[in-house]
Amino acid sequence: MSRPQTQIEKILSHHSTEAPGRPVEPEDIVEVEVDRLVLLDMAATHPEFMGHLPHRIQHPERIAWVFDHLVPPPTIELATGLAKLRELARRWGIREVFDVGRGGISHPLMAERGWVRPGEILANTDSHTCAAGALGCAGRGVGMLEVMSILCTGKTWFRVGGTVRARLEGKLPRGVYGKDLFLALAGTYGGIPGKNLEFQGPGVAHLAIPTRQVVATMGAEIGAEFVLFPPDDRALEYVRARVPAGETLRPVEADPEAHYEQEWPLALDPLVPLVAEPGRVTRNVKPVQELSHVAIQRAVVGSCANGTLEDLEQVSTILAGRKVHPDVVLTVTPNTSAVFAEASRLGHLETIVRAGGLVTNATCGACFGGHLGVLGDGEVCVTSTTRNFQGRMGSSQARIYLASSATVAASAVTGHLTDPRELLSEAP
Amino acid sequence: MRIAGRAWVVGDDINTDLLYPATCFRLPPAERRWQTLSANRPGWAREVRPGDVLVAGSNFGMGSSRPAADNLRDLGIRLVVADSINGLFFRTAINTGLPILEVPGVSRSVREGSRLEADLTEGWVRTDGRELQGRPLPPFLARILEDGGVLARLAKQGYID
Ligand code: SF4
Repeated sequence: MSRPQTQIEKILSHHSTEAPGRPVEPEDIVEVEVDRLVLLDMAATHPEFMGHLPHRIQHPERIAWVFDHLVPPPTIELATGLAKLRELARRWGIREVFDVGRGGISHPLMAERGWVRPGEILANTDSHTCAAGALGCAGRGVGMLEVMSILCTGKTWFRVGGTVRARLEGKLPRGVYGKDLFLALAGTYGGIPGKNLEFQGPGVAHLAIPTRQVVATMGAEIGAEFVLFPPDDRALEYVRARVPAGETLRPVEADPEAHYEQEWPLALDPLVPLVAEPGRVTRNVKPVQELSHVAIQRAVVGSCANGTLEDLEQVSTILAGRKVHPDVVLTVTPNTSAVFAEASRLGHLETIVRAGGLVTNATCGACFGGHLGVLGDGEVCVTSTTRNFQGRMGSSQARIYLASSATVAASAVTGHLTDPRELLSEAP
Repeated sequence: MRIAGRAWVVGDDINTDLLYPATCFRLPPAERRWQTLSANRPGWAREVRPGDVLVAGSNFGMGSSRPAADNLRDLGIRLVVADSINGLFFRTAINTGLPILEVPGVSRSVREGSRLEADLTEGWVRTDGRELQGRPLPPFLARILEDGGVLARLAKQGYID
């Protein structure tokens, strides 16, 4: 019998160009076929790309181009660059162009549009492509140079890392969300650069897809190569509703006897709302309640991880009948145009705006200090985006606390870091 | 592949926001390098000399896909050695033609200013009379470096100019 494999080892083995189906193991370099490739608007800012365009590309039908980081374009250079990208997409025959106002942030957008499928390999320049693992898809951010190589050859490589298994038990309690689940893991177990993370255990079935998406997306912050959830009924149902009828899915599960380098048990019921303190996410996490003395001036909800409809609903539940604290600026960014429209229909956006919050278009925006509200010197921010690194959202003299959208909303109301359960229990 | 140079030593969790701050996006390419580590080690970029080696702690290069390796390369850093390296940064370094090696424990074994010698394909580092063994660079990746990075390779194969 061949060596039992983890979920990621199996997906890589199936896609190997050299020996499809031959088991792979840690330290192997595997060259693979890429099923789908995502390009971003940031391509326009890369001189290597704009100055050395491929003469022709492989498989334009497998490529989507998403304008998400800096939209609408805040500079003349970028506006000019986007026009060039549109022209390139036409020349190369790329039809899936998600232009300004018609898409959103690539990771949630690709899932929403049926481009994230279990058992497949999805490549994108951007580091949070591991988000695709929520649906059992091996998504990986590979950088602009590697994307150029994939455009030319249709292939890429991976150095197979060891795999860690997180075993989830129980259910998330009220007021505790996917971000808290992730922060619990990152705070307890720390970073795993070059390794993979696979989720198993009875607790997985209780997690809604958007919750899994938050967790998988945030996997980049512990340095995980791939983060994978099993393609269970819930995941398959989500994907089937989004792919054209008649297209077959090829979900891949881990072998029952597969070898995992480490086991990370996590009980969900006892979890409380958590915050990562400024600087890094790993081993830098505390309960929100221990940090309630921290006053904030900025509050941000959004990003590929936490701009979902569920996030906007949490925010609107907390803000309903309340006001954003006069000393705080709250910015809320839905992660796709479809989420924006639905949150609008449900009244969440109106609630947020009436409370004094600012709702922006679907973009990366403030998450990476790009535009739409960068942080100034000395400002303290609580955010449900992805990173709390020094300088990440603007000034290197700003301080960034990372938390769930509910914690951000509660803190925006009180003006200091606040456990959302305090406002949920007395929801007006 | 043997490389030697004078060592700079930095700590754990040096991420891409430190290596390539967002201000770089608004600067002409030739000026971006001077922003490297400006938030946590102001002035350092101006002290680097071509041929120097950067030694770092764990989780080196954690963060985004921005071309952070370019800043190090453009400063003249000839080699990066770290206790552990983020997978995306590792790939970007190789693709950009910046030699990189993972050697657990290296950051606590090298004194700043010491001369350091390394062999990429054999995976070892020598400094101050000590030798440490790390993860050898697989031949598949060493070839990309030997080609001068992925762009040079794609040009050689006729895909780009
Ligand atoms: S939302 Fe933030 S983390 Fe996500 S892709 Fe955009 S910049 Fe990156």
